[in-house]
Amino acid sequence: MRLASGRRPGRRTALTAERGPGGEPAGGRVRRRAEGPVIEARDLHKVYVMEGGLEVRALRGLDLSVDDGEFIAIMGPSGSGKSTLLQIIGCLDSPTTGSYRLAGQEVAAMSEDELAGVRNRRIGFIFQAFNLLPRATALRNVALPLMYRGVGGRERAERAASALERVGLGDRLGHRSNELSGGQRQRVAIARALVSEPDILLADEPTGNLDSRTGEEILALFGALHGEGRTVLMVTHEDAVARHTERIVHIRDGVVESSEKVGPGTSTGAP
Amino acid sequence: MLFENLRTALEALAGNRLRSVLTLLGVMIGVFAVTTTISLGAIATAGITSQLQSFGNQALFITPNEDNPRSTEFSDADIEALSRLPVSILRQRTVRGLARAGTEEAPLSLNGVTANAPEVDRTLKLQRGRYFSEEEDRRAAPVMVLSADARESLFPDDPNPVGQEVSVTVAGSRTFYTVIGVKEPLTGAFSFAASAAADIPLQTLYLNYPSVERGRYPFLPVTVSLERDLADIQAQVDAILTRRRGADTFRIQTIEGALTLFNTITTILQAVLGGIGAISLLVGGIGILNIMLVSVTERTREIGLRKALGAKKGVILQQFLIEAVALTAVGGLVGLALAIGVLYLAVALVPFLDQVVLSPFTVLLGLFVSVATGVIFGVWPASRAANLSPIEALRYE
Repeated sequence: MRLASGRRPGRRTALTAERGPGGEPAGGRVRRRAEGPVIEARDLHKVYVMEGGLEVRALRGLDLSVDDGEFIAIMGPSGSGKSTLLQIIGCLDSPTTGSYRLAGQEVAAMSEDELAGVRNRRIGFIFQAFNLLPRATALRNVALPLMYRGVGGRERAERAASALERVGLGDRLGHRSNELSGGQRQRVAIARALVSEPDILLADEPTGNLDSRTGEEILALFGALHGEGRTVLMVTHEDAVARHTERIVHIRDGVVESSEKVGPGTSTGAP
Repeated sequence: MLFENLRTALEALAGNRLRSVLTLLGVMIGVFAVTTTISLGAIATAGITSQLQSFGNQALFITPNEDNPRSTEFSDADIEALSRLPVSILRQRTVRGLARAGTEEAPLSLNGVTANAPEVDRTLKLQRGRYFSEEEDRRAAPVMVLSADARESLFPDDPNPVGQEVSVTVAGSRTFYTVIGVKEPLTGAFSFAASAAADIPLQTLYLNYPSVERGRYPFLPVTVSLERDLADIQAQVDAILTRRRGADTFRIQTIEGALTLFNTITTILQAVLGGIGAISLLVGGIGILNIMLVSVTERTREIGLRKALGAKKGVILQQFLIEAVALTAVGGLVGLALAIGVLYLAVALVPFLDQVVLSPFTVLLGLFVSVATGVIFGVWPASRAANLSPIEALRYE
């Protein structure tokens, strides 16, 4: 797998360099500290009605509270509801019942366009399948959220380019995403999630489609983004991935089974 | 944003080039049909009107009223009564026979007319030779002036048969004539009247064909000089003939009347062709609808992604509407270009159309209709796209 900046230290430099001369001395790091948790889910239920009337209960009264700046791994067997939870937190989906407050605001009370605004400004979502526009260049893919925010063309291109530099793809701006490797695509997707400077980054199995070395590099990138003060939630089923975070939330059968603090480098076994 | 959406739409269309082209065919044909119909009607009317005006004369055409059994042909006395008015009247009788010149043979109409025919009929122009004189008419000289068509069939290799002999057999008896002139081919609006015919002096016709009753005319072409008020003359003609023959025994036709008829025909044709254009637009619109629904379905994941990244409903709606409108607008432009091409071709080929008339209204109408088709048939698929839930769209396989 060919990587833009080759080794990790190189990319780290790119990341620090971007922070150092700092276009955003405070904005990037010191964020609005809301009173109470930034994410607060109470008694979330999600029921999918399949064709033929079969009901699948993905969430069954889940409670979760996330403080600003936390780095959390959400783990659980497949079908446990972890992806559903992340989608609800990311305002891509809504719970059947229950309350979800984002920075103190009840999400259920928001209109569809308000939700679009939240997805656009406050949340960066990173998908396992990257979900890039295949025929568009890396730069256009990354600029997309800014476009939906009404940012002008020139500023859009500048900010998208700097986001791509931050993830080590400064030399791939004009490449179409279908010309990039898996790791590069995920970096483009991360740059896209970062470009609008969201408080919260949500990643659904971000390393699931990548080989382990590329996965490590992506995880290091998440670590650095967390280091900037962002709240990062990551769904994974790999312990090795989860160990990069500060807290692991285990989900089983649609409820939180356990939540444990981990330190970086701490080797914790399965609960 | 609008620019981005336009770019996205054009890229999507370019990505499916064949499909896009096939889809816009319907709109293209519709706009083509509508534009061509409207303009061709205007061009034909303008052409005919200018032809008739180039005539340099006003004309009346008097015929018996065929619906009235008491109506008869016109007599010399009728003509003399009318000659008190400032008009020229052509006396004309026709017989048909078989003409022979050398080895060539062709059916021929012999028009016996008075020597003033070139003054009364302004379309009559000579290519070769001369017209017969009043003196030749008086002494019933065996001379003839061939129409261009008659010259073509009797003297195919001789452009100037003046001085040659033509024999004409009518009802078994054969008569010889000397060609003294050849007419120019009829052009423009009158070319449909072209036929193999020859003008001979009226007295010659009476002399050679005694079965033709003298002093009876099945119709009267009347010309009026331009300074005169045609309506006034027409009223006087009407009064004189009514007094002499009785009411409802004749009809007076004018060029204006013929023009009205022509305009009616043009309008009907326009309505029919316009209707075809409208149906074509409808069918084209349904094509757009279909392809936009396909496009929305195909790009469900893309729509989900765009919504996940914060695209509001209106933006997605706009994106797909622009796509539909871009499709129909391109179709409309191509249709318009084709229509303009066909109009120029028609003017180049059809004799009585002299210049392309293309009003800005027609052009704007064509473009408006194509854009409107895009909007009307794009709204539903676009709003389907806009109303997709982001996560369901993303999950779509």
